[in-house]
Amino acid sequence: MRDRIEGLIGRLVRASIVERVAIAAAALVAAVVVGGVLVFVSGGFASCASGLDLAGWTFCYNPMQVYYELFLGALGHPLEGGWHVHNFSLATTLRETTLLAFAGLSVAVAFRAGLFNIGTQGQLVVGGLLTAVTVLFAARFVPGGAVGTLVLVPLGVLAGAVGGGFYGAIPGALKAYGGANEVITTIMLNFVAVGVTSTLLSWRFQDPESANPQTRAVPEYAEIPTIPVIGYSPRLDFSLLALGFAVALMVGLAWMLARTSFGYELRVSGVQPEAARYGGVAEKRMTVASMTLSGALGGIAGAFWVLMQHGRWLENVPSLGFDGIAVSILAGNNPLGVGAAAFLFGVLSSGGRSINTATDVPPELVGVVSGLIILFVAMPEFFRMIGRQFLDVDEEPGRGTGGGADE
Amino acid sequence: MSESEGDTVAGRSAGESDLAVHLDGITKRFSDVVANDDVDLRVERGSVHALLGENGAGKTTLMNVLYGLYEPDEGRVVVDGRERGFDRPRDAIDAGIGMIHQHFMLVDTMTVAENVALGNEPRKWFGLAVDRARIDREIRDLCDRYGFSVDPDARIGDVSVGVRQRVEIIKALYRGADVLILDEPTAVLTPQEVEDLYDVLAELTAQGKTIIFITHKLGEATHAADAITVLRDGESVGTVDPEGTSRAELAELMVGREVLLEAETEPVETGETVLSVADLSVIDDRDVPVVSGIDLDVRAGEVVGIAGVDGNGQAELVEAVAGLRTPDAGTVRFSGRDVTDWSRRKRIESGMAYVPEDRQERGLVMPFDLVENAVLGSQRGPAFAGDGRIDWAAVRDHAEDVVGTYDVRPATTDSEAADLSGGNQQKFVVGRELERDPDLLVATHPTRGVDVGSTEFVHDRLLELRREGVATLLVSSNLEEVRSLSDRLAVIYEGEFVDVVDPDAVTEEELGLLMAGEHPEGTTESETEPPVGGEGGDER
Repeated sequence: MRDRIEGLIGRLVRASIVERVAIAAAALVAAVVVGGVLVFVSGGFASCASGLDLAGWTFCYNPMQVYYELFLGALGHPLEGGWHVHNFSLATTLRETTLLAFAGLSVAVAFRAGLFNIGTQGQLVVGGLLTAVTVLFAARFVPGGAVGTLVLVPLGVLAGAVGGGFYGAIPGALKAYGGANEVITTIMLNFVAVGVTSTLLSWRFQDPESANPQTRAVPEYAEIPTIPVIGYSPRLDFSLLALGFAVALMVGLAWMLARTSFGYELRVSGVQPEAARYGGVAEKRMTVASMTLSGALGGIAGAFWVLMQHGRWLENVPSLGFDGIAVSILAGNNPLGVGAAAFLFGVLSSGGRSINTATDVPPELVGVVSGLIILFVAMPEFFRMIGRQFLDVDEEPGRGTGGGADE
Repeated sequence: MSESEGDTVAGRSAGESDLAVHLDGITKRFSDVVANDDVDLRVERGSVHALLGENGAGKTTLMNVLYGLYEPDEGRVVVDGRERGFDRPRDAIDAGIGMIHQHFMLVDTMTVAENVALGNEPRKWFGLAVDRARIDREIRDLCDRYGFSVDPDARIGDVSVGVRQRVEIIKALYRGADVLILDEPTAVLTPQEVEDLYDVLAELTAQGKTIIFITHKLGEATHAADAITVLRDGESVGTVDPEGTSRAELAELMVGREVLLEAETEPVETGETVLSVADLSVIDDRDVPVVSGIDLDVRAGEVVGIAGVDGNGQAELVEAVAGLRTPDAGTVRFSGRDVTDWSRRKRIESGMAYVPEDRQERGLVMPFDLVENAVLGSQRGPAFAGDGRIDWAAVRDHAEDVVGTYDVRPATTDSEAADLSGGNQQKFVVGRELERDPDLLVATHPTRGVDVGSTEFVHDRLLELRREGVATLLVSSNLEEVRSLSDRLAVIYEGEFVDVVDPDAVTEEELGLLMAGEHPEGTTESETEPPVGGEGGDER
């Protein structure tokens, strides 16, 4: 039994890229089937005016309709008449995709360095507030219009990156120089972030004209601009430029990991810290550097949340940072995979809303259906990650088993 | 040596009923790699049978088949004349087979008796309590019977490696083993302990036990065994009688070609002092001093060997030199500069190559392929990464050079380090470090686990570097190796140099005593200056 489990995990660990994509696709289909059965059966226990009558039972929910809404609703029902690419649902999907891509990259970079950054959420909260505050402050000195956009947007994103980076550097330094486990410190720092930002908000930055805990709105020209004609309407809170920036970051990070000395050292530190030390990597600096980079990416997610979606910082920050963990695991911590994983999450989130408007299926059940999809698709990657840790080198096949011959 | 000759020996020992173990046509494949190809092994009852072969020849795989860890794809396992199929070690143990692994499976904090009985504790009071008295009695009986002197109440953590091995043997006997498999049993022992082990093996066989021991050392096989089966590339190339076979013939059987057993050193003019360690002390993580006030000079063109039983501070000394450990006192000077506070990277870049003790933890990044491993240590150096980007094409060329030159198999740079056998991993690490064009080479067990043929090549390369004026600090638990390669040999015991000797003048017995911390009569006490200086040592 144990042999069989090890054999299975071993196969998983050694699976090629094509196999992994195929496994993910098969997992998606399996999740749809299981979720479909669940939805159908649940319908038998609900009461409704009309449903499918079978053997004395009335089944209220149609799984086909649920998945239709989940996948195609997220895209704005492209198979129905009057579809236009600039629709609200697709914009929502892509906005979530963009924000989750930043958060996912944040977690992925830390993961590749062997660090489990649970603190992306906190870094996002801090970075977002710093973005809003910086832009609001700088707007006083900058003319409006195109110049304002050109100055304030990069400045805001930079401020988010700096804030998040600084907030990520703290647990990095605590780990490097104090030996504090980054999982614990980042979780705790998430609470600290919420407390500190909320205190700062009420101390100085609260929008006096609103009863909601939020900052004043940044000027309209300081929001992420949308591309005229082919871009989305500013009312949809989504900009193709932001998505483009996310894609550029994915490619850039993938390139950095594969081609640069820093990326190489980061990866070696991640898989085998002792070998990194042997190879001359300054491990402490590397820990701080990779946590700073990870935090900066989390801060950028916060910056885009502020400058693209709301135009201001709100105390009630959605759990993008935590979802980023799932996105990163789903992507196998591969920067390029993060895009696809973020898109899946975007679809589930936006499609879930579509189900709620179009059917009687309760939101809780929709949550279960999307949760199943994430669970099924992420588990093979998760076992790969865990398996790498636990599979002994000796378990590798080949003559090596015999010839290990350590004296 | 042809196969037919081999067969005659096996044929003479004949009768199936005399065989304790008969492996008949065992084939074991791992995916597309054949680890054992139609291997026959006939082990006579009451004999010591050596299983000799290079790294990756399939020795351990074959024994794992016998011990029930692997299921053979083809072939029969016959124990005591009965065909058996072992699904797990438990079945093999029940059939009277015991295995003593390279790395001992003992709990340090428990006593000898507790370790021996672990998992097989006799019970009393209807199974509610462990019958300690009975364990003690049975262990004492075993010790008396086989002439072991082991205190059942001693804690494993407090006893020597030799005693631990004895405990492993007692454990196997306690479980009723008639056939004992020992996997590289001498690797961790001092020469004296090795002699003791031979005595133990003789006593065991005298009382009818059967021993199979796995080794890649020719000397052990010829010295201790009644019959030797040689494996090469997963195939059995014959079973021979050690009496009528020379070591050169055995080496040729193992490798498949003629092998020079002794490295030929020639005098080399030594140059300036490259490495100078002064009054170096290291305190380890448990606050125990492991290196105390060591002085050491290595000149250009000189090989200084450090001999000692593992765990006497040589690892920490080397780590302090290489920059992986901060010394608590003393200085390390390299090429005239004080490098005590230098980072590891700075040391690498200034020309220090280091073959680490643990290739799987340090020397290689296991999930990376050989191309990515070839740049480890040079990832920021000008050779491959001048501007912060790594020139992977150049790295690939370099990796292919190393793989080709050092005969790393399989001969492809695309395989992950983890998929290579231990010996081939070692060859790659040694190759990468030796090709760094270093001024100083620090090598710990450079040929550990490497087969005879490749060992010969690594030794030749080391001597070539010596001729080119590289200073070498060599640590090895293989006495033959340090003695044949070193110009001077420092013996370390409990963190201090007991003596610095001329490797050609010292006998193995003297060396063994020194390694055990005892100063034999007649040897002069000497501190930093050895009786034979750098230059003098070269005259051979």
